[in-house]
Amino acid sequence: MSRGKHAAGTELGEEPVTWEEGARPCAVGDPGRAASTVLTERDSRFLFRNDFLVDGARLPRADAPVADLRAACVRGLKNRYYGKVCQDDYGFLVTKDEQWLVIAVADGVAQGSHSHVAAGIVARGGCETLAKALADEHPSRIDWTRLLHRLADDVVRHGQQHLGLRDRVDVSGTLATTALFAIVGLQPDEDGFLPAFVLPFGDSSAWLLRPRDGRKWIPLQAVKNEGNVIATSATDAIPLVPHELPPALETSLAPGEALVLMTDGVGDPLGTGDGEVGRFLADAWSSPPEALTFASQANFARRSFDDDRTVVAVWPVPRP
Amino acid sequence: MSEDKAKLLPFYLVIDVSYSMDGENILAANDIMPSLLEALAQNPILSDKVRFCLIDFSDDAQVLLPLCDILDPAMTVTGLAVRGGTSYAAAFRVLRKTIENDVAQLKGDHYSVHRPAVFFLSDGETTDEDHEWRAAFRDLTEYDRQTGTGFAMYPNFIPFGVAQADPSALQQLIHPSTGSKQMRMFMMDKGNSPAEAIRAMAEILVSSVVNSGNVMAGGSSGIVLPDTTQLPAGISSYGADDDDFL
Repeated sequence: MSRGKHAAGTELGEEPVTWEEGARPCAVGDPGRAASTVLTERDSRFLFRNDFLVDGARLPRADAPVADLRAACVRGLKNRYYGKVCQDDYGFLVTKDEQWLVIAVADGVAQGSHSHVAAGIVARGGCETLAKALADEHPSRIDWTRLLHRLADDVVRHGQQHLGLRDRVDVSGTLATTALFAIVGLQPDEDGFLPAFVLPFGDSSAWLLRPRDGRKWIPLQAVKNEGNVIATSATDAIPLVPHELPPALETSLAPGEALVLMTDGVGDPLGTGDGEVGRFLADAWSSPPEALTFASQANFARRSFDDDRTVVAVWPVPRP
Repeated sequence: MSEDKAKLLPFYLVIDVSYSMDGENILAANDIMPSLLEALAQNPILSDKVRFCLIDFSDDAQVLLPLCDILDPAMTVTGLAVRGGTSYAAAFRVLRKTIENDVAQLKGDHYSVHRPAVFFLSDGETTDEDHEWRAAFRDLTEYDRQTGTGFAMYPNFIPFGVAQADPSALQQLIHPSTGSKQMRMFMMDKGNSPAEAIRAMAEILVSSVVNSGNVMAGGSSGIVLPDTTQLPAGISSYGADDDDFL
């Protein structure tokens, strides 16, 4: 059916009802063939794994809003085509004292048959562990290395107990995931800025979106493959975590900006953020869209970009 | 600006058109592109990424089909026709120049490019002086990551030999020949018909393209050759260290 307004019910003498047709995937530039031709194949190994996850929330509470959050996880076209589950995941929590919002984004490594399980452990377990740690520690004092090792141990334990895998290296071939964490302060300073702490491990990326600036997308880490002649897809992944990690990145989120966390399914087509995809998303997310619209925008069609996509974005709520 | 329009996986099909290929062999070689087209038409995930280039070589080499989306209706493939001798060096030089230009052009147009793969089909020994083809091959494949010298866009090189092709010479064209991403060569078994072998090689080529697209979809960017146990009849595969064809 085409887009546009529709009406029904008049012939039966009922009250007419009107609606607007929902959106199809937005095509950014050349959508390629897959976006319009791929039919979804279920993964018979994991029948209850969802293809789409969507959330929208005013935090910490709707009656005392500080930040708007939108989150979407969309199964990629390639996984829909080949009948493989979505391997991305995300989680978010507000600490009990309502001081901090904790977000995790995880991208299961495609080569592992159960990497989506690792992504789930990291997304949910990571948020819970961080939220607990924040009861005692300021975010600047979080021991990220310890957190990642603990999550890696959880993944290894799952692999051993449920899948009969031997050791960490064995597990890493079956369950592996990148991890990206953010802690956002929910007590704005006098100018309305929210403090934020970000820890990336692997190729998921964090950005500040400044929709009204010349340079709209500010990466909080090096951009993947920038400067490489030949592209590569190698990445760090849990459960193989080094002894030392670089410190978390500290930034602050100004009114009118957004903190955007994403897996490489969005990060790769975004590139450095100054092309068509960057302009499209900067415009679409200049303020928080309705949650399903946000998911549909994250599901944009662009030739060859068929990976799973996860995005979590946070906007400070404008003050009255 | 460094946004990516698309992630591409370039393949170069290089075919010997020396006089010895005349007759059934060249007819079989001319069927390779239609088989590829058929495979790609059935897989939109793959066809959104794969680009193909067809090069023939004899005393000289020429690009018959520039690197393109072969499902693009505007593309037409010129048929292969036999001529002259067998200069590997001519093929390697044209490949090096073509790959360099293609990758530069694609990157300039903001595409992200995975390492190219070359499928090189020959039915005979090269008519070049030994040092000549070796030098041209080094220019095409050598790259020192530490110093950045050589050809950063070097391709994965997969030789296919039929009829009178010399396995020990073709074996030296396997690239990379060591490390975790080493390639293999495919040889017609002695006594098999070359035209049959070329058809079997088309199958291997199609399955490599499809498998490589699948693993690229699986997050890896390597080229995946068919398992040695799943080769069509009459074809054997050898690594750079094998010597059992001698």
